[in-house]
Amino acid sequence: MNAWLEIPRGWLDSFGEIARFGSRVAGLVYSGRVLKFFGESLRQAGILILGSALIIWGLIFVLGLTCGIEGAYLFRAQGAPAYAGLFSAWCDLREVLPYAFGYMLSAKVGTGIVAELGAMRISDEIDALEVMGVQPVTFLCATRLLAAWITFPFMYLVGIGVMYFASYLAVVEQIGDVSSGGYLLIFWMFQNPLDLFYSLIKGMFMATAIVMVGCYYGYTASGGPVGVGTATAKSMVLNIVLVHIIGMLGTLVFWGANPRAPIGG
Amino acid sequence: MEAAASIGRRFLPAKSFFEQVGEMMLLTGRTIISAIRPPYPYGEEFIGQFLFALQLCWFPLLVSTVAICFGAPGLQAANVLNLFGALDRLGGFFVLAAIREIAPAVTAVVVAGVAGTAITADLGARKIREELDALQVLGVDPIKNLVVPRFLALMLITGLLDIYALIFGITGGILAELLYSQPLGGFFATLFSNASVTDLWGSVLKCTLFGAIISVVCCYKGMTASGGAAGVGRAVNQAVVISFMGVFAFNYVFTQTLLATNPELQTIR
Repeated sequence: MNAWLEIPRGWLDSFGEIARFGSRVAGLVYSGRVLKFFGESLRQAGILILGSALIIWGLIFVLGLTCGIEGAYLFRAQGAPAYAGLFSAWCDLREVLPYAFGYMLSAKVGTGIVAELGAMRISDEIDALEVMGVQPVTFLCATRLLAAWITFPFMYLVGIGVMYFASYLAVVEQIGDVSSGGYLLIFWMFQNPLDLFYSLIKGMFMATAIVMVGCYYGYTASGGPVGVGTATAKSMVLNIVLVHIIGMLGTLVFWGANPRAPIGG
Repeated sequence: MEAAASIGRRFLPAKSFFEQVGEMMLLTGRTIISAIRPPYPYGEEFIGQFLFALQLCWFPLLVSTVAICFGAPGLQAANVLNLFGALDRLGGFFVLAAIREIAPAVTAVVVAGVAGTAITADLGARKIREELDALQVLGVDPIKNLVVPRFLALMLITGLLDIYALIFGITGGILAELLYSQPLGGFFATLFSNASVTDLWGSVLKCTLFGAIISVVCCYKGMTASGGAAGVGRAVNQAVVISFMGVFAFNYVFTQTLLATNPELQTIR
């Protein structure tokens, strides 16, 4: 029976440690002690932009296309193809964008951090940093969290544009049941800046959780090259579940009691 | 000459990308041929991998599907249906949301993130400890003995987990319906009257093919890992990124083909 409960038990084991480690890293960023290594933060931000931006937008684009065709076919069946914009607007902005962002972030950034920090831990580079008098948590983890906070809001906002473009392409150009003007009228009517802000908050919570989990598993990796691989796999499991739970809680808090739709009184 | 060389270097990532895609295709072909051609020594490994994937996936998948289906299609669609006073229609919407899209997508994400990463970490560790080379020296074919059982096991488990994800996805929808204190009769009535066999087999077939994509990518990345401790981690990273992109790009093509070729899916009953 033990093998079946390995994953939930592992989470229970390490949940407190991850929370403590994460709050320590966040504290280091918040108290400004990370600014001692601001250059390193900027370097990490550059790595995030160059290495991850395109692949994240790529996934967002594909999911935007899927959202578009599902919405177009759903409203064609209802006999109201002009309203495909309703589905696209909510699917894109409120739900699928944060999930797509979270998936690709945990795949690309989260596991990347674990692989990098884990390799440093295995080859004793983290101990070497400590010996040299550099605080490893500040230098390695807090800089990455700051870089994430600098970079990801902008990456997310561009992602929104990419996804809107993809949905437009799918609904208007590909399926073509609705004119461009008719689609955009409904599309923009069913969203407002506050929705965008809520969606951004959801995405940023996911990003923060992913970077913290990645830093934790990388920082505490052990057991040689195999250990790094195992730690990477473990971080991915936890990240995926966290992404889904944060997405659900975000929807419940932001839109649970208030649909924020221009329907009725 | 100098300029041509610099342009060539700039396209180097693209070249290596196409090379890798080609090698993955070759690996797929070799795996399928090797799976069909006797002898069949991979039975035990197949069962082991199947159980391994099931043990790893069942809990993350349960939490993920209930969470996403409660939030995304459940609450958001219930919100808008509530404005029209037609909350019983949520069941009909769940055919589109849970069966056609979310259950296969979440299953693929969880299997790629949980079982796929474990496979890459496992094979990558064997590769850099030179165990794969040792197997070849011993006359054991790594494709037949390592890749084929993982390929078949992951295909089967992803297809079956789709049903599991679907059940828990609909549970999420039921929770959303209960949140609005609605009787569940209307939910089930519209769910079952709108659900069609085509939707179900489309969902399971799609998910099985997702499993094939994930297993080939993860096995390929594991078997070509190099560069010591950092190499295995990097292989896992790349494997999961490529799996996600492959799965979602394929998802778009499959959904479009299914919807365009089966117009009866688009009628509301």
